[in-house]
Amino acid sequence: MKPARSITPWLFLAPALLMFGFAVLLPMVFTVGYSFTDWNGFGAMTFVGLDNYVTAATDPIFRDSFVHVCLYIGATLVLEVLVGLGLAGIVSAVAGRMWFRVAIFTPVMLPMVVVAVLWSFVYNPDFGLVNATLAAVGLEELQRIWLGDPATALAAISVVSGWVYAGFYMMIFYAAFRQIPHEVQEAARLDGAGEWSLFRRIKVPMIRSAVWVGVLLCVTGGFQGFDLFFVLTNGGPYGATEIPTTYLVKTVFRNGEVGYGSAMAVVLTAIVLGVGLLYSRLSRQRASRPSEDRAVDVVAAGPAVVDRLVVPEQAR
Amino acid sequence: MTARRLPGLLTSGALLALALVFFFPMIWMVMSSFKTNSAIFSTPFALPESIDLSHWVEAWTVGNLGQYAINSAIVTVVSVTLILLLGAAAAYALSRYRFPGRGFVLSLFALGLILPLQSYFIAQSNMFTQLGVTDTRLALIIPYGAMGLSLAVYLLKVYLDALPEELFEAARIDGASDRQLFSALAMPLLRPGLATVAIFSALAAWNEFLLALLYIQDDALKTIPTGLLAFSTRYVTDYSLLFSALSIVTIPMIVIYVVFNRQIVEGITAGSVK
Repeated sequence: MKPARSITPWLFLAPALLMFGFAVLLPMVFTVGYSFTDWNGFGAMTFVGLDNYVTAATDPIFRDSFVHVCLYIGATLVLEVLVGLGLAGIVSAVAGRMWFRVAIFTPVMLPMVVVAVLWSFVYNPDFGLVNATLAAVGLEELQRIWLGDPATALAAISVVSGWVYAGFYMMIFYAAFRQIPHEVQEAARLDGAGEWSLFRRIKVPMIRSAVWVGVLLCVTGGFQGFDLFFVLTNGGPYGATEIPTTYLVKTVFRNGEVGYGSAMAVVLTAIVLGVGLLYSRLSRQRASRPSEDRAVDVVAAGPAVVDRLVVPEQAR
Repeated sequence: MTARRLPGLLTSGALLALALVFFFPMIWMVMSSFKTNSAIFSTPFALPESIDLSHWVEAWTVGNLGQYAINSAIVTVVSVTLILLLGAAAAYALSRYRFPGRGFVLSLFALGLILPLQSYFIAQSNMFTQLGVTDTRLALIIPYGAMGLSLAVYLLKVYLDALPEELFEAARIDGASDRQLFSALAMPLLRPGLATVAIFSALAAWNEFLLALLYIQDDALKTIPTGLLAFSTRYVTDYSLLFSALSIVTIPMIVIYVVFNRQIVEGITAGSVK
């Protein structure tokens, strides 16, 4: 439709653009600007070119923080996406029993801080559920100070993350499973397929694009994880759970190194956008079948834009 | 339903056991909130001797929980209202009109769908300090509103795109102005989309932690996540009080969730981009 006056669409857009521009786009440009300076947040700002990026590349804490977050992402791909896929397979095979889905999804509702404080008690060495359970079944020798031991802290946090998000991915995959035509499953059953082979050979391959969206969400979300880490360990013990987000918050807001922190923020942003780009490329190479549900379309929109920014439409 | 291979009762039993194990941390949380500190240590699995709500009352009164809840409610309601109004108006323009610059604006909002918070919050915090916005509710309302807009614009545009063009042309011929097309025609038809956006944005605002931690130091303005954290550092070892505070924060959300679970699940999964 043509607007009555050419200014009309802009009048509708102006409030949203102003707010989004002021609170997101403008500070994003400034953050990139800060990353080329040495600045403590209020004194004089000195231009230092790429120095902060060179520092980041050689900073062992920053490098280790990426190792930690990658391990965490690897663990959550299993504990969230794979477990979620399994749970979705179970609930789609057993029909009904909505109460089960409702129960497993519950933690997604809660503030992460509340979850974190609760789990700090679950892991408490003196009265926590984990050690108490081990004692109850006679496995005292396995008791640990879960969050205070560098060998277990990262895994302990990953488990909490899995506890929260497995239900989330279950719901996404369950919704996708329900889009599969009934005839397909019936035909496979008539050919003698059991529930397991139906799940592995028919159902999962048919929701492949939803699974990839789950992987995308898990990876990009993992790089941005903060709340659980901050409340449970804040990088400790001995830096064993330091991830880029906790490190950059310390750098900027505790040490006042705004320039250096901004450079780390830019690196982190570039990685997240890079993952989105990779996803967009790979999903374009796969069959261009329409996705199963709206969630998939919305999630794919972000990466698609990054893709278009990198390679303009005409150049293809 | 067609023939099922798994015997129903056995399946239900297995699922119930799984759900119970999964839910146990929350059951344990409520049980412990009725116990004394020494009982929490000595008999972690035992049922409480009585439903003793005194710790709950204490947590509520000394813990400022009511004030935190009010703050969360104000920030959430205002930011969600902004997201719905501004997002719907922008989505309307992007969906119904063809004009130069449209594709660019659409890309900006879509970029916001994948942009991590870390890409802008350092400078945003600095801007808010310069403008004197930190330690006011606006410091949370503005970013929550802005962060929610991307999803709102994108999702509502998808809904609007599905409406037939003839509907709008006919109303236009009947003499409706652009403003009327938006408020009297598009908005009512958008209701399901607005509900999805509202649920997703409300939960995001209610649960947001990082910005609330950085922008609000004044205890009287803290929202539930930062307020609860402050509470837990103030009463580090008073476990029955802390379990009570956790229960007070958690139980109302679970009740709301159980009542509206269909809408909430739809809202979170359709809205989830992060």
